[in-house]
Amino acid sequence: MQNSSTPKDIGQISFGLMEPEEYREMSATKIITADTYDDDGFPIDMGLMDPRLGVIDPGLECKTCGKHSGSCNGHFGHIELAAPVIHVGFTKLIRRLLRGTCRECSKLLLTEDERDEFRDQLDESRKLSRDLNDVTKAAIRQARKKDKCPFCGEIQYDIDHEKPTTYYEVQQVLTSEYSQRIAGAMQGDEEEGIERTTPDELAEKTEIELTRVNEILSGSFRPRESQRKAIEKALDIDLTEEDTNKLMPSDIRDWFENIPDEDIEVLGINPERSRPEWMILTVLPVPPVTARPSITLDNGQRSEDDLTHKLVDIIRINQRFMENREAGAPQLIIEDLWELLQYHVTTFMDNEISGTPPARHRSGRPLKTLSQRLKGKEGRFRGSLSGKRVNFSARTVISPDPTLSLNEVGVPDRVAKEMTQTMNVTERNLQDARRFVSNGPEGHPGANYVRRPDGRRLKVTEKNCEQLAEKVEAGWEVNRHLIDGDIVIFNRQPSLHRMSIMAHEVVVMPYKTFRLNTVVCPPYNADFDGDEMNMHALQNEEARAEARVLMRVQEQMLSPRFGENIIGAIQDHISGMYLLTHDNPRFNETQALDLLRATRIDELPEPSGIDDEGEPFWTGHAVFSELLPDDLDLEFTGTIGDEVVIEDGQLLQGTIAEDEVGEFGGEIVDTITKVYGNTRARIFVNEVSTLAMRAIMHFGFSIGIDDETIPEEAQSRIDETIDDANDRVEELIEAYDNGELESLPGRTIDETLEMKIMQTLSRARDNAGNIADEHFQDDNPAVVMANSGARGSMLNLTQMAGAVGQQAVRGERINRGYEDRTLSHYEPNDLSAEAHGFVENSYTSGLTPREFFFHAMGGREGLVDTAVRTSKSGYLQRRLINALSELETQYDGTVRDTSDTIVQFEFGEDGTSPVKVSSGDDNDIDVEHIASRVLDSEFDSEEEREAFFDSKPRPTNLSEHADDRLTEGTEVTSDD
Amino acid sequence: MVDVSQHELVPEHTVLEDDTLEEVLEEYDIDRTDLPKIQRKDPALPDEAEIGDVIKIVRDSRTTEQAIIYRLVVE
Repeated sequence: MQNSSTPKDIGQISFGLMEPEEYREMSATKIITADTYDDDGFPIDMGLMDPRLGVIDPGLECKTCGKHSGSCNGHFGHIELAAPVIHVGFTKLIRRLLRGTCRECSKLLLTEDERDEFRDQLDESRKLSRDLNDVTKAAIRQARKKDKCPFCGEIQYDIDHEKPTTYYEVQQVLTSEYSQRIAGAMQGDEEEGIERTTPDELAEKTEIELTRVNEILSGSFRPRESQRKAIEKALDIDLTEEDTNKLMPSDIRDWFENIPDEDIEVLGINPERSRPEWMILTVLPVPPVTARPSITLDNGQRSEDDLTHKLVDIIRINQRFMENREAGAPQLIIEDLWELLQYHVTTFMDNEISGTPPARHRSGRPLKTLSQRLKGKEGRFRGSLSGKRVNFSARTVISPDPTLSLNEVGVPDRVAKEMTQTMNVTERNLQDARRFVSNGPEGHPGANYVRRPDGRRLKVTEKNCEQLAEKVEAGWEVNRHLIDGDIVIFNRQPSLHRMSIMAHEVVVMPYKTFRLNTVVCPPYNADFDGDEMNMHALQNEEARAEARVLMRVQEQMLSPRFGENIIGAIQDHISGMYLLTHDNPRFNETQALDLLRATRIDELPEPSGIDDEGEPFWTGHAVFSELLPDDLDLEFTGTIGDEVVIEDGQLLQGTIAEDEVGEFGGEIVDTITKVYGNTRARIFVNEVSTLAMRAIMHFGFSIGIDDETIPEEAQSRIDETIDDANDRVEELIEAYDNGELESLPGRTIDETLEMKIMQTLSRARDNAGNIADEHFQDDNPAVVMANSGARGSMLNLTQMAGAVGQQAVRGERINRGYEDRTLSHYEPNDLSAEAHGFVENSYTSGLTPREFFFHAMGGREGLVDTAVRTSKSGYLQRRLINALSELETQYDGTVRDTSDTIVQFEFGEDGTSPVKVSSGDDNDIDVEHIASRVLDSEFDSEEEREAFFDSKPRPTNLSEHADDRLTEGTEVTSDD
Repeated sequence: MVDVSQHELVPEHTVLEDDTLEEVLEEYDIDRTDLPKIQRKDPALPDEAEIGDVIKIVRDSRTTEQAIIYRLVVE
């Protein structure tokens, strides 16, 4: 089974054409009969299923190489075509060569100087790895301009290409109606003022003898080239018509055979590998049967592959062609058959050529021929090579589980029982291995297969599991089920950045969904409205080690996009932290312990104080501080604009909300990740989220319609503002109607009016919002969410409680609908706020039907915009990624592409990773601070520092299970 | 006409001497055609730069003060 041949480097790949002789040489047999199997079901010799072409039935031996099915790759055969046919893949190149070479001597229609120039250009393009096509196209364009061959002097004609595979020479020849046309022109035209011409005058003008002129006029003499031109000039007429002369493939082949090798080189073709005449097929290679296996249906009938069907057609026509030609059939029939042969060979290679009806199966389905196998999304390249289906993968719906760590993923037991990990049995894990096997394939941590040292693979079944367990010894392999702590890869499409694929530790759970901690939603961009995700079980130790060290969620905490944390508290976590820290509430011992119960902290610190009843209390700040590293110092302006101060791991002042612990750059999470490492940051984020959940449950948090309703008094004030605004709009309109409105610089009067109305109305909405705002309590849940940054904004609140405001389409007030008005409810040319989509009502009070309609117009635009934007930007990103995907940072720090061309001399011009560097627009790297902190943490005392850097092992990041040992008693413990 | 090469946002472009060029090519183990390209008509180029020359560009960088880039002048 094991393939012992060493892997080899591919030195180079050269592309070229194949010579007919090469086809014959590699062919295992010539194919002459269109039949496949005889009556007994055996393949016919020299038929399309000839046993020398390879084996597909198991057990049989290949007649060419002697190998069995599976190891024999198959062998090509060949068909000798009765007449040459054009290869569809090269029609454009054939056309170019026909146009660029002489029809007589086949030489390239370029002078020596021109050739040298193009040769030089080619060399340069090759060196700069530019597109050679630009040069060769220019060369052909130049050659086509010549109407005479510079070598043999032959006049060149235009080549017409009728798609897909017919070529014509277009010549200008004397029309058959020449006598009528001359006579007609000699008549003259009185209306146009053209005089009559007599034959005598014509003879004089053209210097042709009068008798000849008369003969020409009677049609009994065809004028020669020079005479024709003279007559045309004299009478100002055109005596030619286009004559098309079809070029048969054999003609083209003869033509190409004579093109000298030097001439081909100028066109960027290597004559040793590819002669142009090889683009015209005389021999057709027959793909091995392994490339077109026939399948046996249930009823015993054989069903052949599309390629085989197509080959049958080709052979049939080929034979008919030969028979007819030998029997001396008329040229017309031969040409028809030739065309038919061309059609079949064409569709054999590509069945989606425009201008040709596709070859169809008996059922009417178009055949899938060679090009269709390769092309497109489901083709060989994109479907089978770049992307294939894999084993050990699972996909199901995701749902949240806040009790998991962010590194973990809940895996349904039924998935865990399918995905296996290979366990190499040794003396040390023999007990475990036996237990797994004895549990069988159905019991959870069980095993599905075992492999004996002799390589034999046995399936573990409910029946044999007990016996098999006893036989397991060191040296066996056991394919055991996934268990807690295993590492797997987890992914959500679209995989737009590297955080879309991260490694998680398994926690096996009941039920059918993958469970994940809500804080990993942002990197995956996941929610739980039915999203599905994929899981891949890793199959070797290298992969598992890499996944653990590089891909685990905690290692992806910082985003390489902006160098700050992408994982942090979200939504309710943020509301919870805000409630816990904003007014710094007090908690008694039970409450404080309850808040911290899901964290590592199991002893409370010294109480923050004693209340009036003599009971000790702990403040929200003190509780939160328990989660911080002991020596954290931080000071910055927080979410709600207050100063957040942390000293020695104690939150002294400030509210914890989005900018402090949130996703996308929460200051505290970011700092902990960069200063204390990913492991500490993971612990912090996990604990913040659990503490926040406890806090929000302690206070209770809900939202209802009453939270967006404002008192009557406020409502009337809002109505007043809006009436006021309406009045002002009316005033503006009046001023406009009276022509008193002065236009703003650079705008028309109409635009000025629109702008002023928009301004007035938007101010009205803001005022309404401010009035509503005044009446909201600070503990209003919607306000809490908006202020803390958990969800929603003040604008949303304004629209719910104050007024929805102006609806806009394309950035303007709504102007569409009927002639001069938006709806038939309004007078034509009504410019008022109401008639152009101003919504006075709030969402709570409800919209009028007309307001609703305008709102729907604005809303529709938003929806269309997002849909268009996402698809556009997605495609743009795809293109960008494809263009950049081959760039690689080399060991010398340069960024190069696959051809070793330098793109950047130093990665990012500074050789640093955004994840590893702590600098932004507003803060440079504080080297001194970092250095002193490193030295401080490195040495406990001055002596030690002098005794020089003792070696302290770096903490590992291998598994959560290892963390407990590590975090106990070291820098990560709590204050007490 | 404005001479853009004098603009403060346009970094310094100088033609590289042959011997220093050799050192650069050796350092990165490349041919000169493997360098990034710059068009001859680029207004930032010094007047004496010719096709085939290599230009050294010294750019200000936020993180490393200066970043040095070499480019091959092409048509």
